[in-house]
Amino acid sequence: MGFVIPSSKNRMYLTGQDWVINTIDHMMKASTSAGNMSQIVLVLDSLLDEKLLRKRLGDFVKAFPALYGSISRDFSLAPYWRIPEETTDVLDLTVYTLEEDASDNDVLSLLGKAANRPFKNEDEHLAFHLIQKGKKESFFSITFDHPLFDARGAEAFLELFLEYSSGKEIAVILKGVSLTAPADLSDWMRKFYAGRNVNRKMLSLSRPLFKTLPLPAGNERGFNFHLVSFGIDETEKIYEKAYKEAGYLMEMPYLLSVVMQAVHELFKKRGIDADNYMAPVTIDMRTGDDIKEELLLNHVSYLFFKVTAEDAGDLKNVIRSVKLQMFEQVKAKLPKDLADASSLLRIASLSFLGKVLYLHFKGKAATFLFSYLGNRPGRLIKFMGLKIKNLIHTPRVPAPPGLGFFFNNYNGRLNFVISYLDGLLSDEEILMLTTTVKEKLEAPV
Amino acid sequence: MTKNEIEEKLTEGISAIMSIDRASMATDIPFKELGLDSLGFVEVLVFIEKTFKLNLVELDLTKKDFETINSLATFISKKL
Repeated sequence: MGFVIPSSKNRMYLTGQDWVINTIDHMMKASTSAGNMSQIVLVLDSLLDEKLLRKRLGDFVKAFPALYGSISRDFSLAPYWRIPEETTDVLDLTVYTLEEDASDNDVLSLLGKAANRPFKNEDEHLAFHLIQKGKKESFFSITFDHPLFDARGAEAFLELFLEYSSGKEIAVILKGVSLTAPADLSDWMRKFYAGRNVNRKMLSLSRPLFKTLPLPAGNERGFNFHLVSFGIDETEKIYEKAYKEAGYLMEMPYLLSVVMQAVHELFKKRGIDADNYMAPVTIDMRTGDDIKEELLLNHVSYLFFKVTAEDAGDLKNVIRSVKLQMFEQVKAKLPKDLADASSLLRIASLSFLGKVLYLHFKGKAATFLFSYLGNRPGRLIKFMGLKIKNLIHTPRVPAPPGLGFFFNNYNGRLNFVISYLDGLLSDEEILMLTTTVKEKLEAPV
Repeated sequence: MTKNEIEEKLTEGISAIMSIDRASMATDIPFKELGLDSLGFVEVLVFIEKTFKLNLVELDLTKKDFETINSLATFISKKL
Protein backbone atom coordinates (compact mmCIF):
# COMPACT_ATOMS: atom_id res chain seq x y z
CA MET A 1 0.00 0.00 0.00
CA GLY A 2 1.50 3.35 -0.99
CA PHE A 3 0.78 7.03 -0.40
CA VAL A 4 0.18 9.27 -3.41
CA ILE A 5 -0.68 12.91 -4.02
CA PRO A 6 -4.48 13.24 -4.19
CA SER A 7 -6.11 13.54 -7.56
CA SER A 8 -9.80 13.16 -8.12
CA LYS A 9 -9.42 11.47 -11.47
CA ASN A 10 -8.00 8.06 -10.77
CA ARG A 11 -9.50 7.06 -7.48
CA MET A 12 -12.58 5.51 -5.98
CA TYR A 13 -12.70 5.98 -2.22
CA LEU A 14 -13.52 2.82 -0.34
CA THR A 15 -16.52 2.55 1.92
CA GLY A 16 -16.22 1.01 5.35
CA GLN A 17 -17.73 -2.17 3.94
CA ASP A 18 -15.00 -2.24 1.27
CA TRP A 19 -12.39 -1.87 3.99
CA VAL A 20 -13.89 -4.81 5.89
CA ILE A 21 -13.81 -6.87 2.67
CA ASN A 22 -10.13 -5.95 2.24
CA THR A 23 -9.48 -6.87 5.86
CA ILE A 24 -11.03 -10.29 5.31
CA ASP A 25 -8.88 -10.62 2.18
CA HIS A 26 -5.78 -9.84 4.25
CA MET A 27 -6.77 -12.39 6.91
CA MET A 28 -7.63 -15.10 4.40
CA LYS A 29 -4.24 -14.71 2.71
CA ALA A 30 -2.67 -15.38 6.12
CA SER A 31 -4.92 -18.27 7.15
CA THR A 32 -5.67 -20.08 3.85
CA SER A 33 -4.15 -20.67 0.41
CA ALA A 34 -5.45 -17.42 -1.10
CA GLY A 35 -7.50 -14.30 -0.44
CA ASN A 36 -11.14 -13.24 -0.33
CA MET A 37 -12.09 -14.47 -3.78
CA SER A 38 -15.10 -15.98 -5.46
CA GLN A 39 -15.94 -17.60 -8.75
CA ILE A 40 -18.87 -17.58 -11.15
CA VAL A 41 -19.19 -20.57 -13.45
CA LEU A 42 -21.24 -20.57 -16.63
CA VAL A 43 -22.26 -24.02 -17.85
CA LEU A 44 -22.56 -23.79 -21.65
CA ASP A 45 -24.33 -26.12 -24.06
CA SER A 46 -21.45 -26.44 -26.53
CA LEU A 47 -17.73 -25.78 -26.93
CA LEU A 48 -16.67 -22.15 -26.67
CA ASP A 49 -14.43 -20.73 -29.39
CA GLU A 50 -11.22 -20.29 -27.38
CA LYS A 51 -9.49 -18.05 -29.90
CA LEU A 52 -12.44 -15.71 -30.16
CA LEU A 53 -12.90 -15.65 -26.38
CA ARG A 54 -9.24 -14.81 -25.84
CA LYS A 55 -9.38 -11.96 -28.36
CA ARG A 56 -12.63 -10.39 -27.18
CA LEU A 57 -12.02 -10.83 -23.47
CA GLY A 58 -8.46 -9.53 -23.86
CA ASP A 59 -9.67 -6.41 -25.68
CA PHE A 60 -12.42 -5.84 -23.15
CA VAL A 61 -10.33 -6.02 -19.98
CA LYS A 62 -7.58 -3.97 -21.64
CA ALA A 63 -10.04 -1.12 -22.11
CA PHE A 64 -11.06 -1.25 -18.44
CA PRO A 65 -8.05 -0.17 -16.31
CA ALA A 66 -10.17 0.00 -13.13
CA LEU A 67 -10.00 -3.82 -13.11
CA TYR A 68 -6.29 -3.53 -12.36
CA GLY A 69 -6.55 -1.09 -9.48
CA SER A 70 -4.89 -1.34 -6.09
CA ILE A 71 -5.37 0.05 -2.60
CA SER A 72 -3.79 3.34 -1.53
CA ARG A 73 -4.37 5.99 1.13
CA ASP A 74 -4.44 9.73 0.58
CA PHE A 75 -3.42 12.59 2.94
CA SER A 76 -6.72 12.36 4.82
CA LEU A 77 -5.83 8.67 5.36
CA ALA A 78 -9.00 7.63 3.51
CA PRO A 79 -8.27 4.43 1.58
CA TYR A 80 -9.12 4.34 -2.10
CA TRP A 81 -9.00 2.17 -5.20
CA ARG A 82 -6.20 3.60 -7.30
CA ILE A 83 -7.02 3.22 -10.98
CA PRO A 84 -4.02 2.99 -13.31
CA GLU A 85 -3.94 5.18 -16.43
CA GLU A 86 -3.71 2.14 -18.64
CA THR A 87 -3.72 -1.63 -18.46
CA THR A 88 -0.32 -3.25 -18.62
CA ASP A 89 -1.26 -6.75 -17.49
CA VAL A 90 -2.19 -9.47 -19.94
CA LEU A 91 -5.36 -11.52 -19.88
CA ASP A 92 -5.16 -14.45 -17.48
CA LEU A 93 -7.10 -17.21 -19.28
CA THR A 94 -6.33 -20.87 -18.67
CA VAL A 95 -7.86 -23.59 -20.84
CA TYR A 96 -8.40 -27.23 -19.86
CA THR A 97 -9.66 -30.11 -21.95
CA LEU A 98 -11.63 -33.01 -20.52
CA GLU A 99 -12.89 -36.18 -22.16
CA GLU A 100 -16.57 -36.49 -23.02
CA ASP A 101 -17.10 -39.01 -20.21
CA ALA A 102 -15.44 -36.87 -17.50
CA SER A 103 -17.58 -36.75 -14.37
CA ASP A 104 -19.09 -33.70 -12.66
CA ASN A 105 -16.53 -34.26 -9.91
CA ASP A 106 -13.70 -33.96 -12.45
CA VAL A 107 -15.11 -30.61 -13.57
CA LEU A 108 -15.67 -29.42 -9.99
CA SER A 109 -12.15 -30.45 -9.07
CA LEU A 110 -10.70 -28.25 -11.84
CA LEU A 111 -12.98 -25.38 -10.92
CA GLY A 112 -11.93 -25.80 -7.29
CA LYS A 113 -8.28 -25.49 -8.27
CA ALA A 114 -9.12 -22.35 -10.25
CA ALA A 115 -11.03 -20.82 -7.31
CA ASN A 116 -8.13 -21.49 -4.94
CA ARG A 117 -5.27 -20.16 -7.03
CA PRO A 118 -3.94 -16.92 -5.56
CA PHE A 119 -3.63 -13.91 -7.82
CA LYS A 120 -0.14 -13.16 -9.11
CA ASN A 121 0.19 -9.70 -7.57
CA GLU A 122 -1.73 -6.87 -5.91
CA ASP A 123 -2.86 -5.46 -9.26
CA GLU A 124 -4.44 -8.69 -10.52
CA HIS A 125 -8.03 -9.29 -9.48
CA LEU A 126 -9.46 -11.45 -12.26
CA ALA A 127 -8.62 -14.84 -13.70
CA PHE A 128 -10.59 -16.74 -16.32
CA HIS A 129 -10.81 -20.47 -16.91
CA LEU A 130 -12.32 -22.42 -19.75
CA ILE A 131 -12.98 -26.15 -19.50
CA GLN A 132 -13.83 -27.82 -22.80
CA LYS A 133 -15.54 -31.11 -22.08
CA GLY A 134 -15.79 -33.49 -25.00
CA LYS A 135 -17.56 -31.83 -27.91
CA LYS A 136 -20.85 -30.86 -26.38
CA GLU A 137 -20.25 -28.90 -23.21
CA SER A 138 -17.95 -26.23 -21.82
CA PHE A 139 -17.55 -24.34 -18.56
CA PHE A 140 -16.41 -20.75 -18.46
CA SER A 141 -15.44 -19.37 -15.08
CA ILE A 142 -14.42 -15.97 -13.79
CA THR A 143 -12.46 -15.96 -10.54
CA PHE A 144 -12.69 -12.52 -9.02
CA ASP A 145 -11.23 -10.72 -6.07
CA HIS A 146 -13.89 -9.45 -3.67
CA PRO A 147 -12.04 -6.16 -3.16
CA LEU A 148 -12.89 -5.53 -6.86
CA PHE A 149 -16.45 -6.89 -7.14
CA ASP A 150 -19.20 -8.34 -5.03
CA ALA A 151 -21.18 -11.26 -6.47
CA ARG A 152 -23.78 -9.09 -8.24
CA GLY A 153 -21.04 -6.81 -9.55
CA ALA A 154 -19.22 -9.77 -11.09
CA GLU A 155 -22.44 -10.96 -12.77
CA ALA A 156 -22.96 -7.44 -14.12
CA PHE A 157 -19.37 -7.39 -15.41
CA LEU A 158 -20.10 -10.55 -17.41
CA GLU A 159 -23.26 -8.92 -18.77
CA LEU A 160 -21.20 -5.95 -19.97
CA PHE A 161 -18.69 -8.26 -21.62
CA LEU A 162 -21.55 -9.97 -23.44
CA GLU A 163 -22.71 -6.59 -24.74
CA TYR A 164 -19.19 -6.01 -26.02
CA SER A 165 -18.88 -9.44 -27.60
CA SER A 166 -22.18 -8.90 -29.41
CA GLY A 167 -20.67 -5.89 -31.17
CA LYS A 168 -21.50 -2.88 -29.02
CA GLU A 169 -18.87 -0.13 -28.74
CA ILE A 170 -16.81 -0.41 -25.56
CA ALA A 171 -17.11 3.32 -24.81
CA VAL A 172 -20.90 3.04 -24.94
CA ILE A 173 -20.89 -0.02 -22.69
CA LEU A 174 -18.67 1.52 -20.03
CA LYS A 175 -20.58 4.81 -20.07
CA GLY A 176 -22.48 4.95 -16.81
CA VAL A 177 -20.07 2.74 -14.87
CA SER A 178 -19.07 4.90 -11.94
CA LEU A 179 -15.29 5.32 -11.64
CA THR A 180 -15.34 7.75 -8.74
CA ALA A 181 -16.64 7.48 -5.18
CA PRO A 182 -16.60 10.14 -2.45
CA ALA A 183 -14.38 9.88 0.62
CA ASP A 184 -17.45 10.23 2.89
CA LEU A 185 -15.62 12.20 5.58
CA SER A 186 -18.65 13.88 7.17
CA ASP A 187 -21.65 13.06 9.41
CA TRP A 188 -19.36 11.75 12.13
CA MET A 189 -21.99 11.88 14.88
CA ARG A 190 -24.37 9.74 12.82
CA LYS A 191 -21.55 7.25 12.28
CA PHE A 192 -20.70 7.17 15.99
CA TYR A 193 -24.34 6.51 16.88
CA ALA A 194 -24.43 3.78 14.24
CA GLY A 195 -21.26 2.35 15.79
CA ARG A 196 -22.90 2.29 19.20
CA ASN A 197 -25.93 0.42 17.79
CA VAL A 198 -23.71 -2.10 16.00
CA ASN A 199 -21.61 -2.62 19.11
CA ARG A 200 -24.72 -3.41 21.14
CA LYS A 201 -25.90 -5.87 18.50
CA MET A 202 -22.55 -7.64 18.40
CA LEU A 203 -22.53 -7.91 22.20
CA SER A 204 -25.99 -9.47 22.18
CA LEU A 205 -24.88 -11.94 19.49
CA SER A 206 -21.86 -12.91 21.56
CA ARG A 207 -23.81 -13.87 24.70
CA PRO A 208 -23.86 -16.78 24.96
CA LEU A 209 -21.18 -17.46 22.39
CA PHE A 210 -22.12 -19.60 19.38
CA LYS A 211 -20.30 -22.79 18.44
CA THR A 212 -17.97 -23.32 15.50
CA LEU A 213 -16.28 -26.37 13.99
CA PRO A 214 -12.61 -26.79 14.94
CA LEU A 215 -10.38 -25.72 12.04
CA PRO A 216 -7.86 -28.19 10.65
CA ALA A 217 -4.21 -27.28 11.25
CA GLY A 218 -2.21 -25.39 8.62
CA ASN A 219 -2.60 -22.04 6.93
CA GLU A 220 -2.18 -23.04 3.29
CA ARG A 221 -5.41 -24.94 2.86
CA GLY A 222 -7.75 -24.39 -0.08
CA PHE A 223 -11.52 -24.71 -0.24
CA ASN A 224 -13.65 -27.55 -1.54
CA PHE A 225 -17.02 -27.03 -3.15
CA HIS A 226 -19.95 -29.38 -3.16
CA LEU A 227 -22.72 -28.56 -5.62
CA VAL A 228 -26.36 -29.63 -5.68
CA SER A 229 -28.33 -28.37 -8.68
CA PHE A 230 -32.10 -28.68 -8.56
CA GLY A 231 -34.20 -28.97 -11.73
CA ILE A 232 -36.85 -26.40 -12.67
CA ASP A 233 -39.74 -28.57 -11.41
CA GLU A 234 -37.90 -29.37 -8.17
CA THR A 235 -37.16 -25.68 -7.67
CA GLU A 236 -40.82 -24.75 -8.16
CA LYS A 237 -41.81 -27.31 -5.52
CA ILE A 238 -39.14 -26.02 -3.12
CA TYR A 239 -40.45 -22.45 -3.53
CA GLU A 240 -44.05 -23.57 -3.04
CA LYS A 241 -42.99 -25.29 0.15
CA ALA A 242 -41.04 -22.20 1.24
CA TYR A 243 -44.13 -20.00 0.74
CA LYS A 244 -46.26 -22.51 2.62
CA GLU A 245 -43.88 -22.94 5.55
CA ALA A 246 -42.40 -19.45 5.85
CA GLY A 247 -44.77 -17.18 3.93
CA TYR A 248 -44.89 -15.52 0.53
CA LEU A 249 -41.48 -14.41 -0.84
CA MET A 250 -39.74 -15.82 2.24
CA GLU A 251 -37.32 -18.06 0.33
CA MET A 252 -34.24 -16.71 2.07
CA PRO A 253 -35.45 -17.24 5.67
CA TYR A 254 -36.75 -20.66 4.69
CA LEU A 255 -33.51 -21.86 3.05
CA LEU A 256 -31.45 -20.47 5.93
CA SER A 257 -33.69 -22.28 8.43
CA VAL A 258 -33.23 -25.57 6.59
CA VAL A 259 -29.45 -25.11 6.60
CA MET A 260 -29.52 -24.23 10.32
CA GLN A 261 -31.23 -27.57 10.96
CA ALA A 262 -28.68 -29.47 8.86
CA VAL A 263 -25.81 -27.78 10.73
CA HIS A 264 -27.48 -28.66 14.03
CA GLU A 265 -27.52 -32.32 12.91
CA LEU A 266 -23.83 -32.07 12.00
CA PHE A 267 -22.89 -30.71 15.43
CA LYS A 268 -24.95 -33.41 17.16
CA LYS A 269 -23.20 -36.11 15.11
CA ARG A 270 -19.82 -34.63 16.00
CA GLY A 271 -20.81 -34.68 19.66
CA ILE A 272 -20.38 -30.91 19.97
CA ASP A 273 -22.68 -29.62 22.68
CA ALA A 274 -23.83 -26.34 21.17
CA ASP A 275 -25.96 -23.71 22.87
CA ASN A 276 -26.61 -21.84 19.66
CA TYR A 277 -25.48 -21.24 16.08
CA MET A 278 -24.84 -17.90 14.36
CA ALA A 279 -24.73 -17.01 10.68
CA PRO A 280 -24.24 -13.67 8.95
CA VAL A 281 -26.17 -13.32 5.70
CA THR A 282 -24.89 -11.08 2.92
CA ILE A 283 -27.44 -8.66 1.49
CA ASP A 284 -27.23 -6.37 -1.53
CA MET A 285 -27.45 -2.68 -0.56
CA ARG A 286 -27.93 -1.37 -4.11
CA THR A 287 -31.10 0.63 -4.43
CA GLY A 288 -31.78 0.27 -8.15
CA ASP A 289 -32.16 -2.72 -10.42
CA ASP A 290 -29.61 -1.34 -12.86
CA ILE A 291 -26.36 -2.11 -11.09
CA LYS A 292 -24.09 -0.77 -13.85
CA GLU A 293 -23.44 2.45 -11.94
CA GLU A 294 -22.45 0.47 -8.82
CA LEU A 295 -20.54 -2.23 -10.69
CA LEU A 296 -17.15 -1.89 -9.01
CA LEU A 297 -16.21 -2.48 -5.36
CA ASN A 298 -18.68 -3.75 -2.77
CA HIS A 299 -22.26 -2.76 -2.10
CA VAL A 300 -23.19 -5.30 0.52
CA SER A 301 -24.12 -5.40 4.16
CA TYR A 302 -25.20 -8.12 6.56
CA LEU A 303 -27.98 -9.46 8.70
CA PHE A 304 -27.11 -11.77 11.60
CA PHE A 305 -29.12 -14.78 12.65
CA LYS A 306 -28.71 -16.68 15.87
CA VAL A 307 -30.69 -19.84 16.51
CA THR A 308 -30.63 -21.79 19.76
CA ALA A 309 -29.92 -25.51 19.68
CA GLU A 310 -33.23 -25.96 21.48
CA ASP A 311 -35.13 -24.30 18.61
CA ALA A 312 -32.98 -25.90 15.89
CA GLY A 313 -34.73 -29.26 16.21
CA ASP A 314 -38.04 -27.87 14.98
CA LEU A 315 -38.25 -26.23 11.54
CA LYS A 316 -41.25 -24.08 12.47
CA ASN A 317 -39.38 -22.66 15.48
CA VAL A 318 -36.31 -21.91 13.38
CA ILE A 319 -38.34 -20.17 10.67
CA ARG A 320 -40.22 -18.11 13.24
CA SER A 321 -36.99 -17.09 14.95
CA VAL A 322 -35.24 -16.22 11.66
CA LYS A 323 -38.19 -14.16 10.38
CA LEU A 324 -38.49 -12.22 13.63
CA GLN A 325 -34.75 -11.48 13.72
CA MET A 326 -34.88 -10.33 10.11
CA PHE A 327 -37.84 -8.05 10.82
CA GLU A 328 -36.23 -6.55 13.93
CA GLN A 329 -32.88 -5.94 12.22
CA VAL A 330 -34.45 -4.36 9.12
CA LYS A 331 -36.68 -2.22 11.36
CA ALA A 332 -33.64 -1.13 13.40
CA LYS A 333 -31.79 -0.38 10.12
CA LEU A 334 -28.89 -2.61 11.15
CA PRO A 335 -27.50 -3.06 7.60
CA LYS A 336 -27.31 0.74 7.18
CA ASP A 337 -25.78 1.15 10.65
CA LEU A 338 -23.16 -1.44 9.78
CA ALA A 339 -22.28 0.45 6.62
CA ASP A 340 -22.09 3.78 8.47
CA ALA A 341 -20.21 2.41 11.47
CA SER A 342 -17.66 0.53 9.38
CA SER A 343 -16.60 3.78 7.68
CA LEU A 344 -15.08 4.77 11.04
CA LEU A 345 -12.83 1.73 10.84
CA ARG A 346 -11.09 2.78 7.65
CA ILE A 347 -8.42 4.54 9.67
CA ALA A 348 -7.26 1.16 11.03
CA SER A 349 -4.66 -0.94 9.28
CA LEU A 350 -5.88 -4.21 7.76
CA SER A 351 -3.99 -6.34 10.29
CA PHE A 352 -5.28 -4.33 13.27
CA LEU A 353 -8.85 -4.32 11.99
CA GLY A 354 -8.61 -8.07 11.49
CA LYS A 355 -8.09 -8.45 15.23
CA VAL A 356 -10.87 -5.96 16.06
CA LEU A 357 -13.43 -7.78 13.89
CA TYR A 358 -12.97 -10.99 15.84
CA LEU A 359 -12.82 -9.32 19.26
CA HIS A 360 -16.51 -9.53 20.12
CA PHE A 361 -16.67 -13.22 19.32
CA LYS A 362 -13.46 -14.27 21.08
CA GLY A 363 -11.65 -15.11 17.86
CA LYS A 364 -14.67 -16.70 16.18
CA ALA A 365 -16.51 -15.15 13.27
CA ALA A 366 -19.69 -17.19 12.93
CA THR A 367 -20.82 -20.80 12.81
CA PHE A 368 -21.13 -20.51 9.04
CA LEU A 369 -21.78 -17.97 6.27
CA PHE A 370 -24.91 -17.94 4.16
CA SER A 371 -26.26 -16.14 1.13
CA TYR A 372 -29.14 -16.45 -1.30
CA LEU A 373 -29.09 -14.75 -4.69
CA GLY A 374 -32.52 -14.61 -6.29
CA ASN A 375 -33.30 -14.91 -9.97
CA ARG A 376 -32.63 -11.99 -12.30
CA PRO A 377 -34.78 -12.97 -15.29
CA GLY A 378 -33.70 -12.15 -18.82
CA ARG A 379 -30.03 -11.63 -18.06
CA LEU A 380 -27.06 -13.81 -19.03
CA ILE A 381 -29.11 -16.13 -21.21
CA LYS A 382 -26.51 -16.65 -23.93
CA PHE A 383 -22.75 -16.38 -23.83
CA MET A 384 -20.99 -15.67 -27.13
CA GLY A 385 -23.75 -17.45 -29.01
CA LEU A 386 -23.96 -20.46 -26.69
CA LYS A 387 -26.87 -21.18 -24.41
CA ILE A 388 -26.09 -20.85 -20.71
CA LYS A 389 -27.47 -23.96 -19.05
CA ASN A 390 -26.63 -22.89 -15.51
CA LEU A 391 -24.80 -20.23 -13.51
CA ILE A 392 -23.10 -21.18 -10.24
CA HIS A 393 -21.31 -19.21 -7.56
CA THR A 394 -18.43 -20.86 -5.65
CA PRO A 395 -17.11 -18.43 -3.04
CA ARG A 396 -14.20 -18.98 -0.67
CA VAL A 397 -15.10 -18.02 2.89
CA PRO A 398 -13.11 -16.63 5.83
CA ALA A 399 -11.53 -19.21 8.14
CA PRO A 400 -12.79 -19.20 10.85
CA PRO A 401 -15.44 -20.39 10.28
CA GLY A 402 -14.25 -21.97 7.00
CA LEU A 403 -17.80 -23.03 6.14
CA GLY A 404 -20.41 -21.41 3.92
CA PHE A 405 -23.75 -22.34 2.36
CA PHE A 406 -24.76 -20.51 -0.79
CA PHE A 407 -27.96 -20.67 -2.81
CA ASN A 408 -28.58 -18.97 -6.12
CA ASN A 409 -31.46 -19.16 -8.55
CA TYR A 410 -30.52 -19.13 -12.20
CA ASN A 411 -33.46 -18.98 -14.59
CA GLY A 412 -35.72 -21.01 -12.33
CA ARG A 413 -33.06 -23.50 -11.20
CA LEU A 414 -31.94 -23.45 -7.60
CA ASN A 415 -28.26 -24.21 -6.94
CA PHE A 416 -26.89 -25.08 -3.54
CA VAL A 417 -23.14 -24.90 -2.88
CA ILE A 418 -21.31 -25.92 0.29
CA SER A 419 -17.94 -24.21 0.47
CA TYR A 420 -15.61 -25.62 3.13
CA LEU A 421 -11.98 -25.45 4.11
CA ASP A 422 -10.12 -28.56 3.03
CA GLY A 423 -10.15 -30.98 5.96
CA LEU A 424 -12.98 -29.27 7.86
CA LEU A 425 -15.62 -31.83 6.84
CA SER A 426 -15.40 -35.51 5.90
CA ASP A 427 -17.08 -36.92 2.78
CA GLU A 428 -19.66 -38.60 5.05
CA GLU A 429 -20.47 -35.27 6.68
CA ILE A 430 -20.90 -33.57 3.31
CA LEU A 431 -23.24 -36.38 2.30
CA MET A 432 -25.14 -36.01 5.58
CA LEU A 433 -25.48 -32.23 5.12
CA THR A 434 -26.72 -32.47 1.53
CA THR A 435 -29.06 -35.35 2.35
CA THR A 436 -30.54 -33.47 5.32
CA VAL A 437 -31.03 -30.28 3.27
CA LYS A 438 -32.65 -32.23 0.43
CA GLU A 439 -34.93 -34.10 2.83
CA LYS A 440 -36.03 -30.88 4.49
CA LEU A 441 -36.67 -29.31 1.10
CA GLU A 442 -38.51 -32.50 0.11
CA ALA A 443 -36.35 -32.87 -2.98
CA PRO A 444 -35.27 -36.33 -4.20
CA VAL A 445 -32.32 -37.56 -2.13
CA MET B 1 -59.15 4.46 5.91
CA THR B 2 -60.57 3.35 2.55
CA LYS B 3 -59.00 0.65 0.43
CA ASN B 4 -58.01 3.27 -2.15
CA GLU B 5 -56.19 5.29 0.48
CA ILE B 6 -54.38 2.14 1.67
CA GLU B 7 -53.38 1.40 -1.94
CA GLU B 8 -52.07 4.95 -2.30
CA LYS B 9 -49.92 4.66 0.81
CA LEU B 10 -48.66 1.21 -0.18
CA THR B 11 -47.77 2.41 -3.68
CA GLU B 12 -45.84 5.33 -2.23
CA GLY B 13 -43.99 3.17 0.32
CA ILE B 14 -43.19 0.24 -1.95
CA SER B 15 -42.03 2.41 -4.85
CA ALA B 16 -39.61 4.11 -2.42
CA ILE B 17 -38.36 0.78 -1.05
CA MET B 18 -37.80 -0.58 -4.56
CA SER B 19 -36.59 2.67 -6.14
CA ILE B 20 -39.26 2.37 -8.82
CA ASP B 21 -41.03 5.35 -10.34
CA ARG B 22 -44.38 5.61 -8.57
CA ALA B 23 -46.23 6.32 -11.79
CA SER B 24 -45.08 3.03 -13.29
CA MET B 25 -46.34 0.92 -10.39
CA ALA B 26 -49.69 -0.67 -11.17
CA THR B 27 -51.57 -2.12 -8.21
CA ASP B 28 -52.16 -5.47 -9.89
CA ILE B 29 -48.56 -6.36 -10.81
CA PRO B 30 -47.30 -9.29 -8.67
CA PHE B 31 -44.51 -8.22 -6.29
CA LYS B 32 -42.38 -11.04 -7.63
CA GLU B 33 -42.51 -9.55 -11.13
CA LEU B 34 -41.40 -6.23 -9.67
CA GLY B 35 -38.32 -8.03 -8.36
CA LEU B 36 -39.28 -7.95 -4.68
CA ASP B 37 -37.24 -10.47 -2.66
CA SER B 38 -37.33 -11.62 0.97
CA LEU B 39 -35.41 -8.58 2.18
CA GLY B 40 -37.56 -6.14 0.20
CA PHE B 41 -40.68 -7.86 1.44
CA VAL B 42 -39.56 -7.55 5.06
CA GLU B 43 -38.93 -3.84 4.39
CA VAL B 44 -42.54 -3.66 3.18
CA LEU B 45 -43.68 -5.34 6.42
CA VAL B 46 -41.73 -2.78 8.45
CA PHE B 47 -43.38 0.00 6.39
CA ILE B 48 -46.82 -1.53 7.07
CA GLU B 49 -46.14 -1.67 10.79
CA LYS B 50 -45.03 1.97 10.90
CA THR B 51 -47.83 3.23 8.64
CA PHE B 52 -50.82 1.10 9.65
CA LYS B 53 -49.66 -0.09 13.11
CA LEU B 54 -50.07 -3.71 12.01
CA ASN B 55 -47.48 -6.38 12.77
CA LEU B 56 -47.83 -8.96 10.00
CA VAL B 57 -44.51 -10.77 10.23
CA GLU B 58 -45.80 -13.46 12.57
CA LEU B 59 -48.90 -14.14 10.46
CA ASP B 60 -48.95 -16.64 7.62
CA LEU B 61 -48.08 -14.43 4.69
CA THR B 62 -49.97 -16.25 1.97
CA LYS B 63 -49.47 -15.58 -1.71
CA LYS B 64 -53.20 -14.85 -2.06
CA ASP B 65 -53.12 -11.95 0.40
CA PHE B 66 -49.68 -10.60 -0.40
CA GLU B 67 -49.24 -11.05 -4.14
CA THR B 68 -50.01 -7.50 -5.29
CA ILE B 69 -50.61 -4.05 -3.85
CA ASN B 70 -54.30 -4.59 -4.54
CA SER B 71 -54.55 -7.87 -2.58
CA LEU B 72 -52.36 -6.49 0.22
CA ALA B 73 -54.62 -3.41 0.52
CA THR B 74 -57.67 -5.68 0.77
CA PHE B 75 -55.94 -7.72 3.49
CA ILE B 76 -54.93 -4.61 5.46
CA SER B 77 -58.37 -3.02 5.18
CA LYS B 78 -59.85 -6.15 6.78
CA LYS B 79 -57.34 -5.95 9.64
CA LEU B 80 -57.79 -2.24 10.39
